[in-house]
Amino acid sequence: MSDQTKTWLGSRLPIAHNIGNQLSRKPLAANQPYLAALGMLITATLLFLVLSGVVLSAYYVAAEHRAFQSIQLIMRDVNDGWLIRSFHATGTTMLFAAVYLAIFRALVTGSYRLPGELVWSLKLVFLLLMLLVGYLGYAMQDSAVSYWSLHGVVQTGAGLASFPANIFNWVFGGPAGPGTLTRLAVMHGLLTFIALGVLALHYFAKQAITPPAEKTVPLHPYYTSHHFVAAGVYVLLFAVLVFFAPHLGENPLNQAPANPLLVPAVTTPPWYLLPATALTHALPGTNGGIIAFIAAFAVLFGMPWLDRSAPGARPGFLYKLLVVVLALDVIALCLVAAAGPSTINAVLTIVFIGWYFLHFLVLTPLATARELN
Amino acid sequence: MKFGIFAAALLAAPLGFGATAHAEDTLVPLHWQSQGTFGSYDQAALQRGFLVYQTVCASCHSASAVHYRDLTALGLTTEQVADLIANIKQDNQPVTLNSRLIGALPKAQAAATFGGAIPPDLSNMVAARPKGVAYVYHLLTGYQPAPADVTLMAKHYYNAAYPGNQIAMPAPLTDNAVTYADGTKATTAQEASDVAAFLSWVSDPNLDARRQIGLRAVIFLIFLTLLAIATKRKIWRDVG
Ligand code: HEC
Repeated sequence: MSDQTKTWLGSRLPIAHNIGNQLSRKPLAANQPYLAALGMLITATLLFLVLSGVVLSAYYVAAEHRAFQSIQLIMRDVNDGWLIRSFHATGTTMLFAAVYLAIFRALVTGSYRLPGELVWSLKLVFLLLMLLVGYLGYAMQDSAVSYWSLHGVVQTGAGLASFPANIFNWVFGGPAGPGTLTRLAVMHGLLTFIALGVLALHYFAKQAITPPAEKTVPLHPYYTSHHFVAAGVYVLLFAVLVFFAPHLGENPLNQAPANPLLVPAVTTPPWYLLPATALTHALPGTNGGIIAFIAAFAVLFGMPWLDRSAPGARPGFLYKLLVVVLALDVIALCLVAAAGPSTINAVLTIVFIGWYFLHFLVLTPLATARELN
Repeated sequence: MKFGIFAAALLAAPLGFGATAHAEDTLVPLHWQSQGTFGSYDQAALQRGFLVYQTVCASCHSASAVHYRDLTALGLTTEQVADLIANIKQDNQPVTLNSRLIGALPKAQAAATFGGAIPPDLSNMVAARPKGVAYVYHLLTGYQPAPADVTLMAKHYYNAAYPGNQIAMPAPLTDNAVTYADGTKATTAQEASDVAAFLSWVSDPNLDARRQIGLRAVIFLIFLTLLAIATKRKIWRDVG
């Protein structure tokens, strides 16, 4: 912008001018790891998903038995449609990878501790919203596997008690039928915008508790160049997946259209839904699955209080080791869920989920209490 | 990928491992040019594959996501495609470049013929099977006499590659089922290999474009990231 334009904009729209000026001079801590850029990357990815999603919605038809065909049209006949769809699908993979990583990082660094409990909770709310949005997007494909998954979910909803059933109907719109996919598409978009709001709250809540750094640098050019590096690596990874592994972590059977007469042999969902799927299959019955899911999130929300360490203490080695083991445990759980049902897998699921709860309810309080200083 | 399948073929042949290791398998290496990270379609194989598809498979199957006009991607001009489809009819009407690859068999008639099984649309068949192109090849070459302890269901055939081994599709390919314009010998294995290649193009017509753009995008991004790292280092030099 020329100086003349700047003065003109400053006099006509002072706020834009001030925000720009203040933001670029904002003092920030001088020592930041590259992973500190995760929040920025998550926000950028979600905005990118909104953008590609809006473009896709121009051709997507949200109606049973037509949705799949409309996606085929996008993939085959719309100019560069395959690229936009790849962006959207791979963007989802990148987003979930970043969110799971951010949650892992918060657990390792102990940033969930007071006064970080609200920031931590907002992270979890964001993950919950993303799981829902991700699931809705998966179901909207109306393909061989997702079709049956959606019908299972809708049937589950029909069996719920009145209060959860109300919420459920609000999202899924009652029994699967002519309007279902339209409602899913609306919720898919709406919840995304709510999630953007949660990201904003997360940002402000984090600002409020970040102590002033001893040594600071202005945002520009220091943070801009720093985040540019993180973004470069992230986008590079993104591009490799878009162009060379566009179906990473998907069930190949889901590439076929829905067949109301044939339940697919393997019902594995996309990789990012696996932790949730494993939980909902852990206990028998509809309610068992829902209870396991709620309990798994409840212990996460409870972390600020399950951690018994003294205020200001840095997480100790034992605790960090346990978090790494927990991450491996969750990955193992996902692999078992992906392998499909069998007797051994049922046992393994219980073992891995058992370890998950043991970690939060027993090991974390013990380890953190031991590592008081 | 490429290496894996090659190694599997090498291992399978001498061990007689897997019932699909026929003698003719050795003639067609179990590798398709589109496999691997940087592979691209072999257009000659795709053209031969289309011939097999149109001559044999189309009497039962459809591939309705594809139009005849899309066949220019096989390295043919629009005129060549028009010539190629000149004698193809759908519902007694000659097809046009904008017609979709619809099968000749009405669904109800198919169900009656095949004991309830309906020949599935092949538009996404290769993408929708875990082993993709190799699976289709093995399916088409996997017909065998049923072992003594297997009782076949009515109107079913024994196939080593099909899950459950009993398939309602009669063995579609025979030697010389087609005559290749390029002089390639039309063995069953060759036909199977070619039609599998064609069907993988049908499933993923953008593979070539995707990988070409992708290579450029990735090289550009590597360069950009290195530049970003250099810039960052320079700017942060005094901060440490
Ligand atoms: C005589 C009719 C007929 C012809 C010709 C025919 N098919 Fe089929 N095909 C069927 C039927 C019927 C099924 C369904 C089998 C079942 O459900 O058991 C089928 C199923 C298939 C499947 C699905 C297997 C699976 O994993 O579900 C593939 C792939 C296939 N055919 C490929 C081909 C190819 C390639 C050709 C041409 C070389 C061909 N078919 C020719 C009738 C035919």
